[in-house]
Amino acid sequence: MRLNLRRFDFVLLGATLVLLVFGVAMVYSATQGVESYEDYPLRQAIYGLIGLLLLLLISAFDYRLLTSLQWPIYAVVLASLGAVALVGQVRGGASGWFDAGIVFVQPAEFSKVLFIIVFAQYLASHHEQIGKPQWVLGAVALMGLPAALIYLQPDLGNAIVLLVIGALMLFVADLPWGYIVGATAASVLALPLIYANLEGYMKTRIDIFLDPASDPDASFNIAQALISIGNGGVLGKGFGAGSQSQLHFLRVRYADFIFSVIAEELGFVGALVLIVLLIIVLWRLITIADQARDQFGRLLVAGVIALIMFQAIVSIGMNLGLLPVTGITLPFISYGGSSLLTLMIGVGLAQSVAMRNRKIEFD
Amino acid sequence: MLSRPLPPSGRLVILRGLIVLIGIVFVAQLIRIQFVEGQGLRARADANRFRLVEVRGQRGVMYDRNGQLLVRNRPSFDIVAIPSNMPDDEEELRALLERLEQIIDESEADLPVHQQETSADADAVDDAAPEDAAAAIGQQGQPEFRQRLSVDEAIAEVDAAMAGGAYLPVVIAGRVNSETAFAVAEESHNLPGIQLSIAPVREYLTGPLTSQLIGFVGPIPEAYVASYTEAGYRPNDQVGLAGLETTFEKALRGRDGRRNIEVDVNGREVRTVGDIFPSAPGNNLVLTIDAQLQALMETALTRGLEAAKAQVGVAIAMDPRTGEVLGMVSLPTYDNNLFARGITAAEYQTLLEDKRLPLLNHAISALYPPGSVFKIVASSGALQEGVIDENTRLGDSFDGRVDGIIYVDNRFFPDDLRYAQPFYCWIHSYGTGHYRVTVREALAVSCDTFFYQISGGYRKTFEGLGIDKLVDYTRIFGFGEPTGVDLPGENPGLVPTPRWKRLTYAETWSAGDTYNMSIGQGALLSTPMQVLNATAAIANGGALYRPQLVRQIVDTEGNVVEEFEPELIRNLPLDPEVVDIVREGLWAAVNSPNGTAKALTVPGVTVAGKTGTAEFFDPEIPLKANDRLPTHAWFTAFAPYEDPEIAIAVFVYNGGEGSAVALPVGQEILRGYFNLKYPPQPLEIAPSETITPAISPAGSPELLSGSLEALITDTLPLSDTVEGGE
Repeated sequence: MRLNLRRFDFVLLGATLVLLVFGVAMVYSATQGVESYEDYPLRQAIYGLIGLLLLLLISAFDYRLLTSLQWPIYAVVLASLGAVALVGQVRGGASGWFDAGIVFVQPAEFSKVLFIIVFAQYLASHHEQIGKPQWVLGAVALMGLPAALIYLQPDLGNAIVLLVIGALMLFVADLPWGYIVGATAASVLALPLIYANLEGYMKTRIDIFLDPASDPDASFNIAQALISIGNGGVLGKGFGAGSQSQLHFLRVRYADFIFSVIAEELGFVGALVLIVLLIIVLWRLITIADQARDQFGRLLVAGVIALIMFQAIVSIGMNLGLLPVTGITLPFISYGGSSLLTLMIGVGLAQSVAMRNRKIEFD
Repeated sequence: MLSRPLPPSGRLVILRGLIVLIGIVFVAQLIRIQFVEGQGLRARADANRFRLVEVRGQRGVMYDRNGQLLVRNRPSFDIVAIPSNMPDDEEELRALLERLEQIIDESEADLPVHQQETSADADAVDDAAPEDAAAAIGQQGQPEFRQRLSVDEAIAEVDAAMAGGAYLPVVIAGRVNSETAFAVAEESHNLPGIQLSIAPVREYLTGPLTSQLIGFVGPIPEAYVASYTEAGYRPNDQVGLAGLETTFEKALRGRDGRRNIEVDVNGREVRTVGDIFPSAPGNNLVLTIDAQLQALMETALTRGLEAAKAQVGVAIAMDPRTGEVLGMVSLPTYDNNLFARGITAAEYQTLLEDKRLPLLNHAISALYPPGSVFKIVASSGALQEGVIDENTRLGDSFDGRVDGIIYVDNRFFPDDLRYAQPFYCWIHSYGTGHYRVTVREALAVSCDTFFYQISGGYRKTFEGLGIDKLVDYTRIFGFGEPTGVDLPGENPGLVPTPRWKRLTYAETWSAGDTYNMSIGQGALLSTPMQVLNATAAIANGGALYRPQLVRQIVDTEGNVVEEFEPELIRNLPLDPEVVDIVREGLWAAVNSPNGTAKALTVPGVTVAGKTGTAEFFDPEIPLKANDRLPTHAWFTAFAPYEDPEIAIAVFVYNGGEGSAVALPVGQEILRGYFNLKYPPQPLEIAPSETITPAISPAGSPELLSGSLEALITDTLPLSDTVEGGE
């Protein structure tokens, strides 16, 4: 099959590339002057380049070939997550990593995009009977298993990301409203139960979000994030010149709180540009999903949309003090190789869907 | 052909709506934070990073009269813990503090560790402190103690600071040397929360040599906190606690500035934003002291004390033309650098408990009977009041015997010698008397009998000066009042009067009291500085100056801020002839063959002086043979006789005889002074040309010396002097 470059979404690619460069620049600003973070910007740029190559490669590859690999992929997901849960070393607190020789790999990151493929194929193949309880239960089981393994690492954030991706894909797969309303009601009712079973640090984060005064030391970070954003004003303090970030009042500046760095150094304008760029990316992805040739392609893109959208909402929401503190990073911007590669693979899949969309042209 | 296998999704439209909605919510929140609350948050961001810090103005330094630096400031380091940056975990904290202690101990192995004093220690300090020694700490405050916290104490302090929620540094080890500071700095990556704070401390370059003069600084004494605060001091400021550091506190004090700095999250300074107002160093002092002479005086006095097996002594030198103090040594002394670097409780206690009172400046704060050097006053008074003239001969042999004894009649049996009270001249113990002498001769041989008579009269034969006039002249010479020297803690001394005796002992003043006072004994007490000042007043022709220790106050650029002029206390109401006669008497004491100070020679310089051997009673010092009281040795002198430029006083506590003990010290000082001032010239120049002062004295002493020789040569056995007592 001939590559149809006219179908390739150059707006999506452009927005993605701008976000990548934006991210590398902000990681540079957030880490300058700190010896142990010195190589972060370069590494992020290298990951970006690798990601770009992957994106182009995958977009040339016909996504429909993936359908036959559904169950082997699922087996890889479960095996890698299980391995991390069992023998994987714990690094950086709550993240499961795999030492893949040279670099540390986070299977939880890659498992997201693999899960999207598996789940899209499952939902697509049962499209007509999606309202039937046995298929819904099957879907719940399919996403519950890897989510449980990630939760055991323990990594509540990525477990939730996986569940939200699954839920959004179910939503796009036209799950009847009855299930949606029922599931929403059930989760609201189950909230106290979930809360009671959470690990200590997770509880603390939620406690701090609900009542910042409960732990002044721990709420320091979120207070500093708000101060940083407020400090930015319209045009910001200038690149590399934010006092909050450069004097290290902001913690985890290169990842969790990178949005605050942007808002401080580049101001309202910079933050707005970032939000608009993310919306453009999501908007184009939705268009691709809408125009997908088949249900598998649509749901594949829906999963990628969920991946980007949920992480962006949680990360920005946390920086803005609207959501509790989690370790979830800002897509394309935050430092992190596994996360960036996962996102680029996702966008590559979406481009693959776009290039094979339903607008069959007359030759 | 158009294939439509998949219809557009309504659900995706809903998703678009959701994204737009959330985008709007985020932008709205962004607007709220950046614009609505922006001002407050920007203020908080500034509060995060800007600190207004006090910048200490350096304290002024001190120079001697030749520009030699005596006191300077040097940086010292406090090792402090910032509780908020330290590990929360108790065990980690302990490990950190133990590591720190190890580093400090390794690099300061030779220094004793100061444990926090217990209350029992504090009591012991109070009990051991005699009032005089406490007064030596100028304002009766506590000195700066050396701060060293043990690991347990440090943990307790850090916990307490954390509980207070305050960002207050806890001083783990105060004033460590730079080696220790560097050792800690090298390990700083392993010592989170440990910082070094630099504080300037005084460095007393001449240390013990000048500690009695210069004093030291320390924390504001509790009793004075209010007044210092009013003057703009902050509670942890250092102020002068003793010596010139106290007297010239105002001039020396630097003006603190304020500076705006930017700090990072750990409170470390990143850069200076601006000076709100700059700090300014304090002014410097140029002292009247000559450090070389001071050192020479200390050596001489130390030698003198060793020779006499004495422990306490004073030597002071002054320019009699101006009242400038050239040198002032009080032994034993102490090292004021101990106070500068923070004294340990043990070191402080040792100083306080030392019975010789090393913290006390004996030259101005301790009182002693002046003894025979006081005869200057009695002779001046008698001459001025016309009780005697220069030819009046008094003394021994009115009863037909030359034995050095005269009697004060019993007032009820005036004619019965058995009831009369005998008064002895010092020479009585040698089995003879001075016969009859004029005032010049009396000063030269220190004839007690003569001074008894001119002050208290003698039977019906001679009307004396009388106690009231004697008291007047005593006071005129500056006894009984502070000299006003620029040092804290000066003692005014005691001039006894009939009224004083009545009110103190309920006893009537007797003729014997006047006799005793005439030779500087009895209840009369003075400081060595008063004795020197009286001598200097005779030396310069009758002007009593306030002794001064500071010539100039200069700013850091060397501009003179204040120049100290000679300050006249009073011109003595003495006729020039009277002063001349007394001066001649003092010349004779040194230069006549029978003068008590005839052992003194200073090559090329004519010296006048007076020895003294003053009896005293101290229950702790045993009596001498035949129940004789122990004696202090005195010597005062001025030179060159013709135009004096230096006057000295030497005092040795329980030293014995003035001529044997104090005089050699004075001689060494005078020789040293003239050697320094007129150093030997290169060999090409003939020695006779190098020595400037004339050798021969003025006319009248020559006549005197002749008559003295005729009179006394065969009656005076030795040069030794022992004062007669009651």
